Order: sequence, then C-alpha cells, then structure tokens
Amino acid sequence: MSFRKLAATVGAALIVVGACTGSSGAGNGKGTVKIGVDLPLSGGEVANGEPTFNGVQLAVDEANAANAAGGYKLEINKQDDAKDGVHNPDQGATNAKTLVADAAVVGMVGPFNSNVARAIIPVTNEAGLAQCSPANTGVDLTKTGSEKYRPKNPNQRNYFRVATPDDVQGPAGAQYAFNDLGKKKAYVLDDTEAFGKGVADTFQAEFERLGGTVVKRDGAPKSTTDYTPFFTAVKGQVDVVYFGGTQVTGGGLARKQMVAAGMGDIPYVGPDGIADLGEGGAQGAFITLAGVDASNNVHGTVAGIHDIPDPAAFAAKYKAKFNKDPGAYSALAYACTQVLIKAIASAATAPDQAAIRKAVRDYVFTTTNKFDTVLGTISFDENGDSSQKFISFYKVDPAGAGGKGNWVFVKQQDFATTQ
Amino acid sequence: MIDSHLVATLTQQFFNALTLGAIYALVALGYTMVYGIIELINFAHGDVFMVGAFVALAFLSTIGFTRSISDPLQLILVLVGTFGVTMIVLGTIGVGIERFAYRPLRNAPRLAPLITAIGVSFILQNVVQAWQGPSPVPTPQLLSPQVRFGLFGADIAVLSIVILGITLALMIALQLFVGRTRLGRAMRSTAQDREAAQLMGVDINTTIAITFFLGSALAGAAGIVYGLYFGSIQFNLGFFSGLKAFTAAVLGGIGNTVGAALGGFIIGFIEVGAVQVGLSRWSEALVFAVLIIVLVFRPAGLLGQQLGERA
Amino acid sequence: MSAPARRRPGRDAIDRWTPAVRAFYEAHRSISIFVGTAVVGAILPIVVLIPPLSGFLPQTVWVDTFAGAGIFVLLALGLNVVVGLAGLLDLGYAAFFAIGAYAYALSASSFTNVHIPFWPMLLIGAFVAATFGVLLGAPTLRLRGDYLAIVTLGFGEIVPVVFTNSDELTNGTNGIAGVDRPTLPGIVFGSSDPWPFYIVILAIIALVLIFLYRLQNSRLGRAWMAIREDELAAASSGVNTVTTKLLAFALGASTAGFAGVFSAGRLVFVSPDQFGFTVSFTILAMLVLGGMGNMWGVALGAFTLFIVQSVFLKQLTNFVHPLGLPIISNIDFVQYQFLLYGIALVVMMLLRPEGFFPNVRRRRELHQAAPSEGSPEGIDAAGALQ
Repeated sequence: MSFRKLAATVGAALIVVGACTGSSGAGNGKGTVKIGVDLPLSGGEVANGEPTFNGVQLAVDEANAANAAGGYKLEINKQDDAKDGVHNPDQGATNAKTLVADAAVVGMVGPFNSNVARAIIPVTNEAGLAQCSPANTGVDLTKTGSEKYRPKNPNQRNYFRVATPDDVQGPAGAQYAFNDLGKKKAYVLDDTEAFGKGVADTFQAEFERLGGTVVKRDGAPKSTTDYTPFFTAVKGQVDVVYFGGTQVTGGGLARKQMVAAGMGDIPYVGPDGIADLGEGGAQGAFITLAGVDASNNVHGTVAGIHDIPDPAAFAAKYKAKFNKDPGAYSALAYACTQVLIKAIASAATAPDQAAIRKAVRDYVFTTTNKFDTVLGTISFDENGDSSQKFISFYKVDPAGAGGKGNWVFVKQQDFATTQ
Repeated sequence: MIDSHLVATLTQQFFNALTLGAIYALVALGYTMVYGIIELINFAHGDVFMVGAFVALAFLSTIGFTRSISDPLQLILVLVGTFGVTMIVLGTIGVGIERFAYRPLRNAPRLAPLITAIGVSFILQNVVQAWQGPSPVPTPQLLSPQVRFGLFGADIAVLSIVILGITLALMIALQLFVGRTRLGRAMRSTAQDREAAQLMGVDINTTIAITFFLGSALAGAAGIVYGLYFGSIQFNLGFFSGLKAFTAAVLGGIGNTVGAALGGFIIGFIEVGAVQVGLSRWSEALVFAVLIIVLVFRPAGLLGQQLGERA
Repeated sequence: MSAPARRRPGRDAIDRWTPAVRAFYEAHRSISIFVGTAVVGAILPIVVLIPPLSGFLPQTVWVDTFAGAGIFVLLALGLNVVVGLAGLLDLGYAAFFAIGAYAYALSASSFTNVHIPFWPMLLIGAFVAATFGVLLGAPTLRLRGDYLAIVTLGFGEIVPVVFTNSDELTNGTNGIAGVDRPTLPGIVFGSSDPWPFYIVILAIIALVLIFLYRLQNSRLGRAWMAIREDELAAASSGVNTVTTKLLAFALGASTAGFAGVFSAGRLVFVSPDQFGFTVSFTILAMLVLGGMGNMWGVALGAFTLFIVQSVFLKQLTNFVHPLGLPIISNIDFVQYQFLLYGIALVVMMLLRPEGFFPNVRRRRELHQAAPSEGSPEGIDAAGALQ
C-alpha cells in the first residue's frame, strides 16, 4: 500500500472514530467531577509513577463505591509527564494546562518530581486549582522563596503536599544516626537528583551541627553502576553511611556493593526512598535489590506516623486490587486523593464545576479543617505543608518474613515541635 | 598508619578500576568491530549487552542456580554453560537485528541506520521492561564477592581476578580469530575496503553477519560479567554503560580492537580516580573531557590510523 | 505518483491559479514565506476544532502545544544547518538549547535579580549560543565524521553536568525558577492564554525561515553543501573550511539560542534535566524524518514528531478509553509509548530513509542508484525492500 493511501485510510478512520466519541458518561445523580493526575508514567520512571497512580485509583474507586464524594461520581484525568522516558517539566506544564482547561477537573494529584512541580505550580496557581503532591520534597515549593512559583496570584495558595519536606527528614536521619546509633563519622552519598541531594544536604548540615564529622561527601550520578570505588575510598574511616536517594536510583545496589567491599557491619541509613517497607522478594523493594544478607544493619526514616490506622490493611487492599505490593508513595497518593475527595464532598451544594473547584481549594486551605487519611488525621498549614511532621524510624530484620527480610518499626518522633 | 592505609586503598581502587574497565572493554570491543566493518555507530549495542545480562539471569533461574556456588567444579560448569548459551543467543539476536534493521540501509545516508539503531534500542528496552519490570532486578552472584585475598593490605575479591581473566581470555580469543583465521581475514579486508574484498571473493553479507554475531556474543559475555559482579541489572542499564563503552572505543581508535580494550581500561581508571578524589559528580564530564582532549591531539583516537579522506 | 487520468473542475481552478501564485512566490520569496507562515499559523488553531482532533485536547491547549512545537521547529531548523547543510554530525545539539535557556534565566529572574527584558535577550541569547557554537566547534575541525559525532555528543553531556553541579551559579539540579515572562504593553503573557506566545513563536520562525532561506542560496550556503559532499574538493576550490564550519556551528547554535530564550520565558523555569541526550536525539530524529537538508521538510518533520510525541501518544489512552471498544480500551498506550516510538522509527527508516520531504538528490541516491557494494539487497525504485 502506498504511503498516501495508507495515510488517507488512517485519517478517514480517525475521523469516523472521532465523530463517535461521546462525552464521558453521566454520574449518578449530580454528575461527574474529575481528579486530575500528573505523574511520570512511561519509560524508566514508571517504577515511580505507576504505584503512585494506583494509590489514586484505589481511593477513587472506593469513594465511588461508597458514594463518598458528596453525590458526585469521580473520574480520573490521567496525564503522563515523562518524555523519552524521563520526567519533563515542559510536558508537566502542558499537562497542567490540559487539566486546567478541563472544567470537570476540580483538583489534581501530582507531580512526582519537584522539578516538574516548579513548572506546574505557576499554571495551577493561575487557575486556582487545588494541587496535592504525594512526593515532592523540595523545601522552596511551599516555604520561603515559594512566591516565585506563584507569579499570577502570589497570595493565593493552591499547592499542598502530604510528603515531608527535606528539611525534616534529613535532620531526622542525622539525629538518629548521631544520637540513637551513636555514630560520629559519616559518609554521605547522594544520587545527584533533586530529592536525594536535598535530603543529603539537610542530613549533612544537621549531623555537623550536632557535632559529628562528615568525612566525605560524594554524588553518584544516575549513570553510576559501580559503587565499590566509593566505599573503598572511605573504608576504615567512617562508622555510618547515609544515602540520599531511593532504592531505584542506586540505594539498594550501593548497600549490596558496600557489603561486598567488606563494610557490612557499618550501618546504612537512608530516607523514605530506601525505607520502602517492602518485603524481601517484592519487586523493586530495597531488600530485594540489596539482598537479604546485605540488608542487615540498614535503617531508614519514613515521613509518616507509624501508629496509623493499619498499614497492613492498606497493603492488603492494594494487593487485592492490583496484584502487586504497594509502592513507596502509594499510600501518600491515596492520602492526597482522600483529602481532595473530602473537599469535594464539602462542595456538595456548589452550583457549577467552577464553584466546586474554588470550594475544594478553599476547603483544603482552611487550616482548621482536618482530614482522616491513611496517614492519620492531618491538616495543612497556610503554606500547604502537612501538619504531620512525624518521622518514623525503621530498620531491616533479615530474619523477618520467614527469612526473606522485612522492615521493623523502631520508634516515631514528632518533629513539629522542633521546627 | 595513614600511609599503609593509603596504599591499601589505592591498591583496592586499582583493582576496582581494572574490573570496571574490563567490563567496558568487553562492550567496547563489540562497538569497534561493528564500526570497523560497516561504519555504523550501533547505538543498540549497549542494549544488546543489557539483554545479555537478562538472558543470563533467565538461564540461571531456569537451571536453578540462584545463589553463590562454593564447589569450584560446579561453578566452572555453570559458568561455561551460562556463557555458552548466552553468547549464542545474543549472537543470534545480533545477526537478526543486522539482517532486518541495518542491512536494508547499507547504502542509505549515514544517519538513517543511526536512527534505526536507536529505534531498535528503544524496542529492546521496552521489551525487557515489559518482561522483567522497570525496577532493578537482583542477579545471582555465582562467585560471591566475599571470597577475597589480601594484597598490600587490601582485600581483593577473587571475583575481580576471575572477571579480568575472562575478559583477557575473550580478547585474546578475538584477536586470534581476527588475526589468524580465514573468516577473520575476511573481516579485516571487508573493513579495509569492501569492494576490493568482494572482488577477492569475500562474501560480504556473511562476513558482516559473523561480525555482528561475534560483537553481540561479546556483549552478551559482558552482560553476564556485569550481572556477576554488580549483582543488579535494570532494563535501562544499556544506555549509560553503552555510551561509556562507545566512548572507550572511540578513545582507543574506533575500528581498532586493542584500542577499544585500552579505552575501556582508561575510562575505568578515570571513573575510579574521580571517585577517590571526590569528583564523582563530574565523572561523566571528565570522561568526555578526556576524550575531547585526546581527539584534539590525535584525531583518530589513541591507536587509530588516520585514514585518507574518504570520497 | 502518476498524473490523474481525467481532469476535474476543481483541479482546473487550482491549475489556473497556481502559476500566478508561483510567479509571485518566485519574485517575492521573503514576503511569501512570511505570508505562508501566517496562513499556516491561522489555519492550525481552526483545524484542531474538528473531530477527531478536538477529542484529544481543547483548543487552548492545542495552541499552547503548537507554541511548544514551534520551539522544536526552531531547533530542527538550526540543526539542519549543521547536519543537513554542512554535513557535520552533531549529536549534542541540546547543549546550545540549554545555553540559550540558562542565559536568559540568569539575566531575567529572581535568582540573580537581574532583569533584562525578553526581546533584547532573544538576540543576546542567540549570540551567546553562537559563541559557544564556535567554542565547541573549534576542537572538532580536524575530526572525521563519526569522531565529530562523538565529540559533540560529549559536549551535549558535559553542559548539563556543569549546570547540575554549579550550585552557586545555576542553583544546580533544582534549576532556576521565577524566570521573567516577556512583557508588551497591553498584552499579558500568562499560562492560561496561549495566543501571545503562539504569535511570537510564529514571528520568530518566519524570520528564521527567511534568513535561512537566503543563507542557503548564498555563497555561504553553497560552501556548506560543498563541504558536506566532499571536503577535500571544496578546500581545493578555495572554500575556507575552517570559517565555513565554524559559521555552520555558530548559526546553527544561534537558532537554538532563540529557542532556549523563548522556552525559558514560556516555562518560567529552567533545569538541567530538560536538556539531556534524548532531546538532542529527538531533534535529530525530526531532521531525518522530515528530510535532511530540506528546510521545509525539517520544519514539518519537527512539528509532526512533536505533536505525535506530546499529544497523540500521551492522550491516546484518554482518547480511546471513552470509546468503549472491546480490547483496545483496556490497553494503556502510555506505557508502550517507547515501544511504539521505536517501532515507528525502525519502520520509517526501512520504508523511507530519506525522510518525508527529502532533498531531491537524496531520493535519487537512495532509490535509483544500483548498489555497487556487492550486496544484492537494497531499495529498488518503488521503495520496497528487495
């Protein structure tokens, strides 16, 4: 078939198909509202994006089944901000414009990467669309210096997050390493990405403030495959290692090679990118990547409270629906969605979709409103940061889960008072 | 104490660099062979290397060896089996890629097969991602890296020595094949002047196919070695490692197999050196900076020959 | 492509007007280009109101996407000068894009508290990029084709690494936010209104097209093509290969400079992860798909590929899902984007390696030349594989 004929046939088929595209189905009773999602959903980042998206999906489906959204039927408008396999701020901004232009979208969840957020917030701010990120930890997104992300409406906040910013998690890890583990000489390694470097920076600052020494500070770019030279360089000089990053950007592999280099008895501490609480054997879990034997003596912080309504129950229903273990950010995305759903329910009497959108944003940023979520009962301060500044500390028990290894809870600490 | 500690550290880093360099060298060999014969920058080669690692993983899982093996005889048997199977499978894949994606474009403008190569690279990555998931996957380290011996106060893993041995053996085998056999002569003559080789009765298509087979088999071997040493593989590892290996091939003089090996080791040393002095954030930039400086002074690479301007 | 056997009335009208239009075009090239760009720019937003295109995105987002596509059209036009006209294989072109963007971000943001207006920065950014084009091109002058490629690839990797690691200068991996938007009295350049950006990029593209068109037919353009075909012969004919090559790099980079400044002003945020190798490669693919050496083909190729990547592949799931088709509705196309893209690239190269709108010479090279290198396989005149 010649090129032209092929093109003509495809074009004709598309027009026919397009003409048959109806609008999305009407809801039961009051119509449909949508929750927009922007996450990296293709290429290498799908390991981050997909479990996070599933958290949103789970919350939406439960709310629809229980009619918990004020009589509205919920749908998801899903957007992928990865281009050529990498999260792309430009694509994120375009996605945000798509979501904003869809009048049925009254709130959004995402993005995953702080850099994408930096491109998206100006867009959602201009439209007044409530935006919840399950994973952004960049401090400047909500705190001092965040005005530059709100050029249009500098005094109106629309961006909030359930993830704990770097300025809490890093210092928490430092205090744990210094006080609880009693270590004074640290080696800090980050994965040169925004989250990893951010949390490693705050760890280092706090560790030094407490009186410890950071013997060496290195960055291992994404292209690093061999961490052995890193550990060879500090062998015998340090008594604790902090890895800023996630198990996917090298955290698991680094520990494995650290042990292979003979430094297994030195504790390895990391943020919630490491402490994914996944059991050994689960796909993509830290313990799986590092190996059970190497996971001994590994500690991690989790930006969340431990005494929450049953993490096991969440994992169980996630697994029942998606046939996989939840990812590190699934519960956070689920919580984001719960917050938005409660805000939507509060707008049950709003006259039109634009009014719902405004009501949702106003509801979230009324600091006295509390939300019961899978992370516990939380509210948001005027910056959009979660009131919950609990950090939970976990360590790996290689003998747990019948020898496959799992994470056990050590303690939790409220950092709200120490801010 | 500091002095002997430094000696121990540097000795350790030396072996780290050798091992890392060996892996780059193995992959670089494949790049350089293919380039030498059809002047194609085969971007898919890095992903062929990645596929090799996964094929080895699948093979080992199938025959049931997923932990380290302590019996040396059993270890050797399993290794030989793994190398044999993986290299043959990868060689076949390489020939297939050449036959369907590159051969039709042999006379196309330079860029067309380059684009195709990247298309193939995307396809390979996606297929493996669909097969094994996007997260890193642990691989069995048949020879545990914990088995070590001492040297100048450093703990050298026996695994490193084994890898070096395997790499050297493969490189020597390749050199012998290319230098001493008829097929090797056919490869060299095709690389030098395709038309003249044809006139002398060389079957170009077969020769090129064999080149791809060998190059891909070597990439497969590199993949096995990678899995053995690092213990973790991921569907996108081909891109970065492939890029560095390609840089190694160019550094040494593309088309020159000894140069490729040399380039691989040089890059290994640059990377490890950067880590030791705390410049690891800059390692990518350093590798390329060295390449550029070398090319400024020796435009055909370290061991490359400056051929006359081709019409 | 055979001529139609019967004439039709509509065809007659077109045939009557075509010579007149063509005559005008021949006489007034620059104005024609300008008018042509304006016409295309006016038609596009209307076309997207028709189903099925209207089902993918609302019009405002389409127009915004066109502005984004325009950035890549500029990038492809610039790379076409380097690769298509002068034959210098540049695999790290995104570095110049990054330099243009960062030049603007450092001169017009709250990060540095310097606020040079957008319009002069367009020119300044292009100039800075051109300077780097010369700087990065200089070491490559003696290198053969593929060595040149790897060096440019190296620069393409080095530049983002430098930006990532220079925390004090460039805010490192977190990028520079709060970049100033362009300002014009009475017109607001915001996120919700895509039209001002759209019109500005159209204007820039028209100007660049006119400039490049003139350049292509000038002495310099012919010198580039001479170098591309046979450098030794060109040098023997008196072409100064050094300045010619450096000018190719400089002028090619300057377009990327325009694109970078515009992109920074539109996104109000620059970060190193926006300028990786995949961007360089995408621009190259646009060139090859569109038809290297042919300005118009390249522009069209860039536009098409961008729209396919940013809209069709991304929105395919959202588009197909509400149709309720049995199996297809359950496929999550988003996850398979890469696979589809890879397959499309391979198929495209096998079927039409010279691109959609090739240089006439290329097509001749590929479809008629009997392969002299001994392989019976090749591509015969009908474009099919042997």
